[in-house]
Amino acid sequence: MDTNRDDFVIAIRSAFLKKGTQQRFSLIALILVSILFLVLGSFNFKAVDYLKKTLKEIVYRASFIASGPEHVIKKNYSIISSHFELYDKKKKDTAELNSLRSKDLSQKILTLENIKYKKLIDDYLIKENETYAKVLIDKQSPFLRSVIINKGSKNKIKLGMIILDQNYLVGKVVEVNYFTSRVLLISDINSKIPVSLQPGDIQAIMSGKGAQSGVLQYTKDKNLINNDKETLVLTSGAGGLFKSGIPIGIIKKEENILDNNEKIVNFYKDFSQLKYVKVVSFTKEKLTDESSKIATQELDNEIDKINQAKETINILLKQKKIAEEIRIEIEEEINFLKDQNIKLQNKLLSAESAINQNKRIVEEAQFIKWNDLYGKECKKTFYNNLHKVGTEEYKNCVLSKGLLNN
Amino acid sequence: MNKINKSNIFDTFYRYTPIALLFISVLNETDFNNLGLKYFSFNFSYILIFYYTLKKNETIGYGLIFTAGLFNDVVVGIPIGVSSLLYLLLCGAAAYLRNITLRPSLIKDWIFFLLTILFINSISFLVLTFIFSYEINYLDQIINILFTFLFYVLFVFIFNFIDKIIIGRRYAG
Repeated sequence: MDTNRDDFVIAIRSAFLKKGTQQRFSLIALILVSILFLVLGSFNFKAVDYLKKTLKEIVYRASFIASGPEHVIKKNYSIISSHFELYDKKKKDTAELNSLRSKDLSQKILTLENIKYKKLIDDYLIKENETYAKVLIDKQSPFLRSVIINKGSKNKIKLGMIILDQNYLVGKVVEVNYFTSRVLLISDINSKIPVSLQPGDIQAIMSGKGAQSGVLQYTKDKNLINNDKETLVLTSGAGGLFKSGIPIGIIKKEENILDNNEKIVNFYKDFSQLKYVKVVSFTKEKLTDESSKIATQELDNEIDKINQAKETINILLKQKKIAEEIRIEIEEEINFLKDQNIKLQNKLLSAESAINQNKRIVEEAQFIKWNDLYGKECKKTFYNNLHKVGTEEYKNCVLSKGLLNN
Repeated sequence: MNKINKSNIFDTFYRYTPIALLFISVLNETDFNNLGLKYFSFNFSYILIFYYTLKKNETIGYGLIFTAGLFNDVVVGIPIGVSSLLYLLLCGAAAYLRNITLRPSLIKDWIFFLLTILFINSISFLVLTFIFSYEINYLDQIINILFTFLFYVLFVFIFNFIDKIIIGRRYAG
């Protein structure tokens, strides 16, 4: 028994304390250093903090370089696959563009009205700072879904700034270094976003689900969202963390129908495809009374202009519709008249042929009648040089003699 | 002279391949530890470190493993020191197994690897959850451990195959 214990102790000592032939450090020394880092890090010790920052700057750049070949492969793959999908995408986009164009004017009006009313209740936020950043590293881990961007405190990036891709919410800045920053994605399990569900204006908290989706937690009344339509998920602005109304994703109608506690939110953006993002912060618009009046007036004017434009378009559309109807009626009329014309022409032709027939019959009767009387004056004999019986000349001669004498 | 040069190139390649693989796996964006698949992930770094510490101790230095751990912490975004600690504990376990083994057996190594990754993942879970208040998905962790365990054998064959090619070439050259 003692021998076994001795063997164990010797093996452990050899493994942890002895330096190998090629080793510069013993294991136990390095393990102690790791633990020291952890302990000092948990107390936010300044020296460790500086070391961390320096290390981060180096590692982020190194990781960006190390990921270079992979980026090239991914980019080429993306280009090739986008070429294959081009035709279908174009067809789909054209259809979508047509439907969106028709909605655009109404949306403009609604947006401007919304701004106007928000200003009235002092809840209108404007962009204070906007910067575009490149995503350096997109390393996903089960513990923290985050990306590193190439802007830091040097570019006036601050903690808590919002990250958008187009106009969709991506995450917020949780760590700022001098040249780089870390963005916590909304798909992270630790990310809790106050959201609003539309339609219904239901308030909830959304947490990341570790993939391209989130999950609703703490919904006030789960039954409220059990409808058969898709539910839009937007930031609610509660707690002042985010500006309200930033689109996040949708809850599919199949998900709505299910009576489960966890409603899955499908994000609009694919976070694995992020390349450039917008870093923004919002602030309340500070307006003096006079300037706010002018701004409101300007907004009103703009709304009026758009309304007028909309009315004009509506009138033109109605006119176009009426003109179209008239055109169709005229075309029908023309077709009807064409048919009539053809019928009349046919009738005329048949009448003409009947007249000709009658004429020929009358002529024949006259010839028979006058042939007895004047035939001998036209008939050819051996002593005169008149017309042979039965020829056209003979017939004409008989008829002309008959006409002269009658 | 030409033969000596060739031999040196293969020696250098043989010596630095494991550590290069470790740093690439840590710094590269594609992480086997999180491929974005729901029920599939494995920790390539664990397999690499355990295998090379156990079988070819001279090719992979503890100092470099410690540095790779620091880099991994920075890239993944977990507190600095966690990965280093886990990697070094893995090295310690592998070194202990090497010391007590008289007749190497793949099955024994494999079982010991399972026990080791269970232990170090428990340490990781405790540190991250109780000290740093991170939320960790149990299921993801279990899947990760399971596939890391299963893939160990596959990678052992791959690493052995690479070694055979390099060593075979060296002696042939």
